[in-house]
Amino acid sequence: MRGFAGAAVAAMIVAIPFGPAVAQNLRPDQQSFRALYKELVETNTTLSAGDCTLAAQRMAAHLKAAGYPGHDLHIFTAPGHPKEGGLVAVLPGSDPNAKAILLLAHLDVVEAKREDWTRDPFKLVEEGGYFYGRGTADDKSLAAVWVDIMVHFKRDRVAHRRPLKLALTCGEETNGAFNGAKWLAANQRALIDAAFGLTEGGWGSMDEKGKRIALGINAGEKLSQNYQLEVTNPGGHSMRPVKDNAITRLAAGLLKIGAYDFPIESTDASREYFSRMAPLTGGEMGVAMAQFSRAPHGGKAAAVLAGDPRYNAMMRTTCVATLINGGHATNALPQRVTANVNCRIFPGTTIETVQGKLQDLVGDSQIKITAQAARSEPSKAPPLIDAVMKPIISEAAKRWPGIPVIPQLEIGATDASFMTPAGIPTYGFTAMFFEPDGSRLHGLNERIRANVLYEGRDYLTDLVKIYAQ
Amino acid sequence: MRTFVTAALALSFTLPALAQTGPDQQRFRALYKELIETNTSLSAGSCTLAASRMAAHLKTAGYPDADLHPFSVPDHPKEGGLVAILHGSDSKAKAILLLGHLDVVEAKREDWTRDPFTLIEEGGYFYGRGTADMKAQVAAWVDTMVRYKEEGFKPRRSIKMALTCGEETSTAFNGAGWLATHERALIDAEFALNEGGGGRLDASGKPLAVTVQAAEKFPQNYQLEVTNPGGHSSRPVPNNAIYHLAAGLTKISTYQFPFQASDITKAYFAKMGPQVGGEIGAAMTAFSKGDMKAAPVLAKDPSYNSVLHTTCIPTLLSAGHANNALPQRADANINCRIFPGTSVEEVRAKLQELVGDPEIKVTASDKRSEVPKGPQPLTPVIFKPVEDLAAKMWPGVPVVPFMSAGATDGAFLTPAGIPTYGVSGMFGDPDGNGAHGLNERLRVKSVYDGRDFLYQIVKVYAQAK
Repeated sequence: MRGFAGAAVAAMIVAIPFGPAVAQNLRPDQQSFRALYKELVETNTTLSAGDCTLAAQRMAAHLKAAGYPGHDLHIFTAPGHPKEGGLVAVLPGSDPNAKAILLLAHLDVVEAKREDWTRDPFKLVEEGGYFYGRGTADDKSLAAVWVDIMVHFKRDRVAHRRPLKLALTCGEETNGAFNGAKWLAANQRALIDAAFGLTEGGWGSMDEKGKRIALGINAGEKLSQNYQLEVTNPGGHSMRPVKDNAITRLAAGLLKIGAYDFPIESTDASREYFSRMAPLTGGEMGVAMAQFSRAPHGGKAAAVLAGDPRYNAMMRTTCVATLINGGHATNALPQRVTANVNCRIFPGTTIETVQGKLQDLVGDSQIKITAQAARSEPSKAPPLIDAVMKPIISEAAKRWPGIPVIPQLEIGATDASFMTPAGIPTYGFTAMFFEPDGSRLHGLNERIRANVLYEGRDYLTDLVKIYAQ
Repeated sequence: MRTFVTAALALSFTLPALAQTGPDQQRFRALYKELIETNTSLSAGSCTLAASRMAAHLKTAGYPDADLHPFSVPDHPKEGGLVAILHGSDSKAKAILLLGHLDVVEAKREDWTRDPFTLIEEGGYFYGRGTADMKAQVAAWVDTMVRYKEEGFKPRRSIKMALTCGEETSTAFNGAGWLATHERALIDAEFALNEGGGGRLDASGKPLAVTVQAAEKFPQNYQLEVTNPGGHSSRPVPNNAIYHLAAGLTKISTYQFPFQASDITKAYFAKMGPQVGGEIGAAMTAFSKGDMKAAPVLAKDPSYNSVLHTTCIPTLLSAGHANNALPQRADANINCRIFPGTSVEEVRAKLQELVGDPEIKVTASDKRSEVPKGPQPLTPVIFKPVEDLAAKMWPGVPVVPFMSAGATDGAFLTPAGIPTYGVSGMFGDPDGNGAHGLNERLRVKSVYDGRDFLYQIVKVYAQAK
C-alpha cells in the first residue's frame, strides 16, 4: 500500500503541474477508491472474453466488507447468460415511507484489442494526468463511484432519509445480447423501485487544456439502431476472378452511405443547448450556435456546427459503418460479406424510414439491408424537475463557479431508456468532464483525467447525500 | 449399395465403354466418398486422419509397412501426409511421382446448398468440398496404387505417391514443400504428375481439349490495412477506416492489368481456336499469332481471362470491434495471380498506386514459394503418352499445353529438381466447378473417366525406357 501511494504521488506531481488541488497527496479515501476503480477496470467485462458476474461479485465483496448484510446484496444472472450478471444493493433509509434513489451504472465495456491499443486496455495506467484503460470513462468511472458511495454511507453511517439502491448491470454496450437493466425493469421492478435514478450520460465538457466549460444533463436521447448489410455470391476460385465480387459490391454501397448527410433537425433541448453554449464557446462556433438556435435549419451556421462531430451528432440522424466481415479463405472469391451500419436516429424519425433511406442510398438490390433487433423503444427523457435540478445546480456553483448546467440531447444511448418507461425517471448526469475528443469512449486508448474523476466523485457523493436527505 | 448401382446405371448412357459400373468402380467410389467425408480443412479437419485412412487401403492391398511413410511434424499434428512406394524392376530407372494434396478450402455448411462434407451424387455430378479440388484425383492415385499391387503389376520404374497437406493454405504448413526440403531422397523422381491439368468442356458438356499443365501463375496475397483512433459510433467523424478501405478496394476492382502472352498461352489458344470456333475461336487464333487486340474478346470468359494477365481481387475483409464503435482497424486481403515475369514488388507498388491513399498500407504477405524461374520443358516424354491415350479415349479432342491460373505444389517440386506436370484426364466445366467456392462439384463421368485415364497413363510412364 505504501509503495502504491508513493508511486501515485510521484505520477500526479510530475504529470499534471497545471492541475488543480487534487494534484497533491491522495487522501486515504481517494486511495481506497482508486484501488476499487483499478480492480474494476482490470476485471475484463467485454462480451467476448470478460465476465460481468465476476465484476459484480467483486463489487459485492466491498459492500459486504463495509457491513451490508447478505439479504441486501442481490447478485443476479439470467438463465443462458452466466457471465452477464449484475448486482443490486439496497441500503435502507431512516424514513420507511420515503422512496429510494437509484444509482445505475453498467459494468460491461466495449471490446478492446490489445494489439490496437498503445497500452494494455485491461490495466489501469495512470500517465500524464490521465487514467487509461477500457471503461476508465464508460462506465467504470461511474460504477466505481456508486460502489464507493454505497460503502461510504454504510461504513461511516452517513445519515439519510431515503433508501439508496445500487444497480450494476451488464449488456449496455452489446446490442442484441442480454441487457441487465432491461431485465431488472421487467423482472425485478420492486427491487429497484425508486423516486428517480441517476445514470451515465450528460457528460460535462472541457477544452483540450482541461478548462471546464459546462455540465450537461440529458434531456432526450437518440435511438441507437443497427442495420446489417449483406451480399452473397456463389464465390469460386480466386485464380479465376469474375466481375461480380461481393466485397467490391458492399464497398461501393458503404461509400454511398458514408458520403450522405441526413437532414438537419432540432428539438427544444438542442436549441436551448446551442443557445446557452454560444456565449461560453465564443468565436465562429459560438456565432454559429447562436444563429442555429434562432434558425435551426440547414445553412451556414449548421455547416459550421457540423464541422465538430459532437455538434453534428446533435443536429441529425447519423449512420456509420462500424463492422465488416467477409470471405472465408485468402484464395477464394468471397461468398458472403456483411457490414454493420450503426445509426443514431433523431427523435421523431422511425427505424423503417432510416432503413428505406439506406436502401435508396446503396441503390443495389443485391445488398440486402435488415434492421437488427431494436435495443429499446424510443423513449422520452423525464422532465427536469426542481427536486433533481436544484441540487445539481447548487453543487456545481459551489465547486465550479460560472459553469452552467445545460440540458442536452444525448447522442449515445443509455439504460435510462429502460428505466424511465418503467416508471423510474432516470437522469443522465455524471459530473465527469470530457475533452473535445469525447474521452475516446468506445475507441482506442480510452481515458479520463484523474482530477476529473476524483472531483466528480466528491461532487456525486455530496449530491447523493442531498438527495438522500 | 443396390440403389447406388441403379443410380450409376441410369447415368451410364453418358459414359463410354470404359466406364463400367463394375465392383472395382464401386470400390473406387467408396474410397472417394470416404475421402470427401474426411474433413481436411485447416480449421476443423485432419489431413493426418485422411492420410492414415488412405494408408489403410494400401496396407490391405499388400503394401508392407516399410513402403508406407506417414509423416507429420510436431507443430502440425493434423497436417500430415503419406508417401507410398511401389518398387520398380529396374533399379537404375528413376521413379515417377504421383502427387496430390489432401487438404481442401474451408466450406461453411450454412452457405452451401448441401453438406459440403457429405458426398452427394445428383444430376450427373458429385457434390462436396474437394470433389474437384482435388480428392477425385487423390482417390484415383490411391485406387491406382491399390490395383497395381493387387494385380501384381511390376513396373519398370518405381512409382511413388505423395499425399500432402497445406496446398490450399498459403501460410500454414505445406507438406510438399516440407518433403522437398526434408525427404528429398524419399520422393526423388524423374518427374511428377499432379493436379492442374485435365480437360475443358464446353457449356453443353462436350470435350474441347485435354490439358497438360506446364506452367502456372504465381499466387501472392497482399494486405491492405487502415488504422484509426476510432471512437463512439454516436459521434461519427469524416475519417473512417472502413470508408478509406472501401474506396481503395473500389479503385483496385476497376483496374485491369495489361494483357500478356507467353509461348504456352499462345500454344494453348492456337489449339483451342479451331475447337471452339466462332468469334471466340477466331480471337484465340489471332491471339496465338500475337494479335493482342484479340485479348479483350477472350477476357470476357473468366477462365480465359485468368491466363491473359495478372489478376488481383479482394477475398477477405474485416473491420471493427463492436457495432457501436467507430472502426479502429480495417483489413482486406487482395489475392493476386501474377503472370510469369512480373515481380511481387511490382504488383504491390501498382496496388499502392491504385488505392492512391497513404492511409491504406499495402504489404505483401509471406510468399507461398519461391517465384518459379520459368516453365519446365514440355518434352515428348510427357506429352506423347497423353496424346496417344487421349486419342483412344476422346478421339478428335486435342491435347494442349496449359498455364494454370491456379497455383499447385509443383511450385515446390519443380525448383527441387522434380519437374511437375498437371495431368488428370478429368474434364471440368467452364464455370470452374465451384472449386474453392460454393457447391463444388465434378461430373460423375469426368471422375470415372479420369480414374481410367490415370490408371492407364501411369502404367505407360512407368514402363517407359
